Amino acid sequence: MSYSTFNKNQINPLQEPMFFGNSVNVARYDQQKHSVFEKLIEKQISFFWRPEEVDVSRDRVDFQNLTESEKHIFISNLKYQTLLDSVQGRSPNIALLPIVSIPELETWIETWSFFETIHSRSYTHILRNLFTDPSQVFEDIVINEEIQKRANDISKYYDDLIFYTQLWQTHGEGEIEVDGEVHNVTMRELKKKLFLCINSVNALEAIRFYVSFACTFAFAERDLMEGNSKIIRLIARDENLHLVSTQNILNLWQYGKDDPEMKEIAEELRDEALAIFMKAVEQEKEWAHYLFQHGSMIGLNEEILCQYVEYIANMRMEAIGFDAPFKQRNNPLPWMNKYLVSDNVQVAPQEAEITSYLVGQIDSSVSASDLGDFEL
Amino acid sequence: MSNTFKVRVNGQHELTVDPSEGSSLLEAMEAAGLETRYHCRDGFCGACRTQVKTGTIAYINEPLAIVRPGDCLACCCVPTSDLDIDH
Repeated sequence: MSYSTFNKNQINPLQEPMFFGNSVNVARYDQQKHSVFEKLIEKQISFFWRPEEVDVSRDRVDFQNLTESEKHIFISNLKYQTLLDSVQGRSPNIALLPIVSIPELETWIETWSFFETIHSRSYTHILRNLFTDPSQVFEDIVINEEIQKRANDISKYYDDLIFYTQLWQTHGEGEIEVDGEVHNVTMRELKKKLFLCINSVNALEAIRFYVSFACTFAFAERDLMEGNSKIIRLIARDENLHLVSTQNILNLWQYGKDDPEMKEIAEELRDEALAIFMKAVEQEKEWAHYLFQHGSMIGLNEEILCQYVEYIANMRMEAIGFDAPFKQRNNPLPWMNKYLVSDNVQVAPQEAEITSYLVGQIDSSVSASDLGDFEL
Repeated sequence: MSNTFKVRVNGQHELTVDPSEGSSLLEAMEAAGLETRYHCRDGFCGACRTQVKTGTIAYINEPLAIVRPGDCLACCCVPTSDLDIDH
């Protein structure tokens, strides 16, 4: 089942499952099997922004005045976010594009991943401003044990799916021996790996960014590191959109609105999917502990941050059909919301891509009567 | 003609909502001083997901976030009947 960049068979994409059907040939968007992905593409493109538009120059002065423990919190979060977006800037493309079967989802995956690369570029923009040479920060990402622990859990489901897809594409189904290890490649097994991978990505987009976001916005509440905060608001808005896509994929499977075998797998692997999410929650709490090991910051400590992780995990888990596992139903950080409101995302009106303007452009409808009083 | 609807929230608060005033269900809950859950307020993040126990709603803007059966997104809908919701 080798991959072709242009499948010459006549196929009807409206009859294809999201994944593991025929590979996509014509990139057409006039008809969609799952129109939500087309709408996500439009929304995401309307959110386009460039890190260089945001002035971060004042942050350098703020940073120098932070305490050592606050510097640790700030830089560690940037390292973690750099890791997350390094993975997300490539992995959806490498893991999902070879197996996707409908054009609107294929293009959504490319759009999604492209925006993650904007996020990666913005971390360089922030760090370049803070340090004459930011190499030490970047180099620590592959050395730092706390970050490595997370990197492993984030990438392993992608890597597993990518490896099995490669085996399937070169050898087809069956038992395949590689370096003395036998792999049993079946379509069922591939679909299971896909299901676990999407659950892992969903957990990443749902909660893994939020401890870092909370710290960034806690600095902004004190009028510190505001350039950074403006960038993180734009990133948070994008990540919310990415999360919607994985939630949609999981729900389409669960409700049997796509591949019927994926519905069976969703039921069969429900406990594993739950465990993936709960592990991500635990890791985020451990991250909060790591951040505050040298001292907390004004307005935030480990306990409140862990409560926020539980609060947000409840919301995210209910969206994919799990019961809320935590008691935390009230928002322990109410000021977070104002940074996450879509229309509050604004850099400077004359240079920023304000959502409402651009979405207005896309949705604008002018009827002939609107120009009724217009005379030349 | 404008209709007002009674909205019962979490089995304890009762609000009167007039959909013709143009405010969303989320805004109506906020106006009544209730603590609400939200992020984007634009129908795409799903943070304001609310369980509709009885009654019907209509969307002012079609949401992008997944809405599971029995749920609604409070930031972009209005009641079209009396409601009993969990938020």
